[in-house]
Amino acid sequence: MFWKRQVPIFIVALIGSITLFGWFIDQPDVKEFIGDDATQWFDVLASFAIILGALNLIKLQIQKVLYQKPGWQYSVIAVLGFIFAIVAGFFVKGVDDSVAQWGAHVTSDGTLFKWMFDYVFSPMSATMFSLLAFFVASASYRAFRIRNFEATLLLVSGIIIMVGRVPIGGVISSWFIMYLIVLGLGIYVNSIKKDTKVTFVFVAVGVSLVTIGGIISDWPVDQPGIFYLPSIQEWIYYYPNVAGARAIMIGIGLGIFATSIRYILGIERSYIGE
Amino acid sequence: MTNIEKVFLKIGSIDRRWIFIIIALVVVVPLLVPIGLPIRATDTSKSVYDAVEALPKGSKVLLSIEYSPSTKPENHPMAISMMRHLFRNNHKVYVTCLWPDGQFMAQDALNQVAVGEFDKKYGEDYVLLGYRPGGEAVVKGIVSNIRKLFSVDARQTKVDDIPMMDEITNFKDFDFLFSASAGYPGTIEWVQYAADPTGVPMSSGVTSIQVNEVMPYVQSGQMVGVLAGMPGAAEYESLIGQKGSATSGMDAQSVAHLVIVLFIVLGNISYFIDRKRSRKY
Amino acid sequence: MKDKQFWLVTSGVIIAFAIYWLLGHPYFVIDRIVMFFSILSLSATLIYYTRAAERGEEFYLRPIPALKAVEEAVGRSTEMGRPILYVPGIQDMDQVETVAGVVVLGHVAKMTARYETSLNVPVSRSIVMKAARESCRDAYTVEGRPDMFNEDMVHYLTDDQFAYAAGVNGIMVREKPAACMYMGKFYAESLILAETGNSIGAIQIAGTASQAQIPFFVTACDYTLIGEEFFAASAYLSQKPELIGGVKGQDMIKLAVIAVMILSTILMVLYESTGFGFNISEYLTIR
Repeated sequence: MFWKRQVPIFIVALIGSITLFGWFIDQPDVKEFIGDDATQWFDVLASFAIILGALNLIKLQIQKVLYQKPGWQYSVIAVLGFIFAIVAGFFVKGVDDSVAQWGAHVTSDGTLFKWMFDYVFSPMSATMFSLLAFFVASASYRAFRIRNFEATLLLVSGIIIMVGRVPIGGVISSWFIMYLIVLGLGIYVNSIKKDTKVTFVFVAVGVSLVTIGGIISDWPVDQPGIFYLPSIQEWIYYYPNVAGARAIMIGIGLGIFATSIRYILGIERSYIGE
Repeated sequence: MTNIEKVFLKIGSIDRRWIFIIIALVVVVPLLVPIGLPIRATDTSKSVYDAVEALPKGSKVLLSIEYSPSTKPENHPMAISMMRHLFRNNHKVYVTCLWPDGQFMAQDALNQVAVGEFDKKYGEDYVLLGYRPGGEAVVKGIVSNIRKLFSVDARQTKVDDIPMMDEITNFKDFDFLFSASAGYPGTIEWVQYAADPTGVPMSSGVTSIQVNEVMPYVQSGQMVGVLAGMPGAAEYESLIGQKGSATSGMDAQSVAHLVIVLFIVLGNISYFIDRKRSRKY
Repeated sequence: MKDKQFWLVTSGVIIAFAIYWLLGHPYFVIDRIVMFFSILSLSATLIYYTRAAERGEEFYLRPIPALKAVEEAVGRSTEMGRPILYVPGIQDMDQVETVAGVVVLGHVAKMTARYETSLNVPVSRSIVMKAARESCRDAYTVEGRPDMFNEDMVHYLTDDQFAYAAGVNGIMVREKPAACMYMGKFYAESLILAETGNSIGAIQIAGTASQAQIPFFVTACDYTLIGEEFFAASAYLSQKPELIGGVKGQDMIKLAVIAVMILSTILMVLYESTGFGFNISEYLTIR
């Protein structure tokens, strides 16, 4: 129990304290430890630990194949892919030493490993990432509903950013946006007054005012700037968005600080199962 | 219930696979039949361009590549445009990678631009230092002593034998840093451990989703501008006057965004009709 | 002033530092003195409230729907006879979020042991695999069901981000878990996981401090723990006084930060417009 409880807590407290307070100490050995050695120790540990993970993966996949569990055919592909990557990385270079040395062969053209990266790994990675395009569309379609004021605000700002950020937003005239606003306000007035005449007069006056304004100013695409989508989009990015992002960052930073202090002081011990 | 209302209700409960098909079409068609929408550079992209343009000739620029094939459409055009800009102005380019995949991306970009377009000489005009594991420890190592971290480059050549490395011992010997980043470790680590403490100016190209996290650093002046996603890459291509894959992708992105907005509007119309019906009954 | 021991130790630390300072403060980076005092005072605040909670003081915690939903989700899975999928993020144990995710996993494992529901935890890092296994093993032992624990319930998939997302998606589509929980550090794969979970009809609860991914989880999941709510999850689920006291301490620190921000803004405006006062940003800048 001593090795499973007190020793881990002591190690966490010691290394955590050294790393935290070492930042205030102007001594080369301490600075080197916290700047380089401590993080590199972790990388060395993680690199060796990958063997455990790989063995676990192979064990489970081979078990699936041997017991013919549902989907065992995919496990055959997983095991073959694993073996191929090991062979390409450590045993078969595919080119002479004069073309690429061991080590440099992972990025050199013509090697088996580079072939695997270019024609197997890269397309599969890009395919998985491209799923996001479809999922963003379906998630937006499902989730963006005008349920309350906050949802409406989210929807409107989302649309402004989506359209304003791309070139097509720059082509949409600010006068077009003004017409849309007049029509939108007309719908709102109609929902309150429920009188067709009042709505018609409101919309007619609004459209007339916008048209007169446009004719006088000769319909500039980006003026008035307050209705030009790229300008609104930039303003939303720089001010409300950054303010919200900063607030969340500060909160997260405090959360990380508090959690880390709890681990260093041994108050939180759930990571060792307590 | 009118026929129109029935149609909208049906649209509101459409199988998501129809949405996938429509999105696929609106992305593929503009790629095959370009529209040629004009690209308008934003202030953040212009700041990056102006900062690089203002560098004295022959400046030493550290270019850090930390993205993988998955974000290649967003980050690779930024890296390529930046390399074109730097080589055109005859700056010396030192390439490093915080991600293992970054080394492949860097090699591809250098082959295309440095070798293919500008016929630059390895070791004199540019050098690929390569990838080192360690995340922010690599950034801290570059800040304190780059030669301790990189004793050999990506080709296994000793750094001492590379002519353009003669003047470089640590991060302060560089005149500018550009990071093409897709996550961790990346831009934020460069700001926190390198650019801000040392005062070396830096800029970055990030994926669209990261812009939120990075914008506070741009606003506070710790970074000089940012290239925000594929639109940012397309803007930079228009600023350097050489179109690339980002520009051709903007037509597809524009149409796709409009279609998503249309879906949202249709979905809300269906939602209102359904709500009206529920209240009625 | 109730905690005499705390004030005694605090006074001791202050006196010790004062002596160290008067002796010429060897090896101390003077530029970082403000940061040093900030860390000490914030840590002292946390310790004070933790000790207050241990002494029996009650602190109010507002209810967080996502954490109430965890037990409901486990119950739903038990009724449907389907497993629970728990994803502890894609980063390693050097990230605080991953450690917090493993801590919450321990609490979820206690519930699955109690309700005899199967638990599937695919991980992206080998060290996380070992830590998560230990957490689950201890949880099952504490609930008196060590026989139900199987090492393979926590299994390694791959380190690569999108290959991991593909693997987890495959598990979701094949095994159709009734509940999916995403607790840890996520990147772009967050929406891929959440949308696939939505398509199989699972109840989804997410918790992350990855700022860019929070909107995706909010959109696609039923419940989301945003930012520090995730870090406070351990206190909520365990109801241990010392952890609840820590959450209270965190809130007091936030109040202090807000006060400093308002005060600094006023001072900076005064200094820059009238020259009165001093440039407080020089003291607050970290070097």
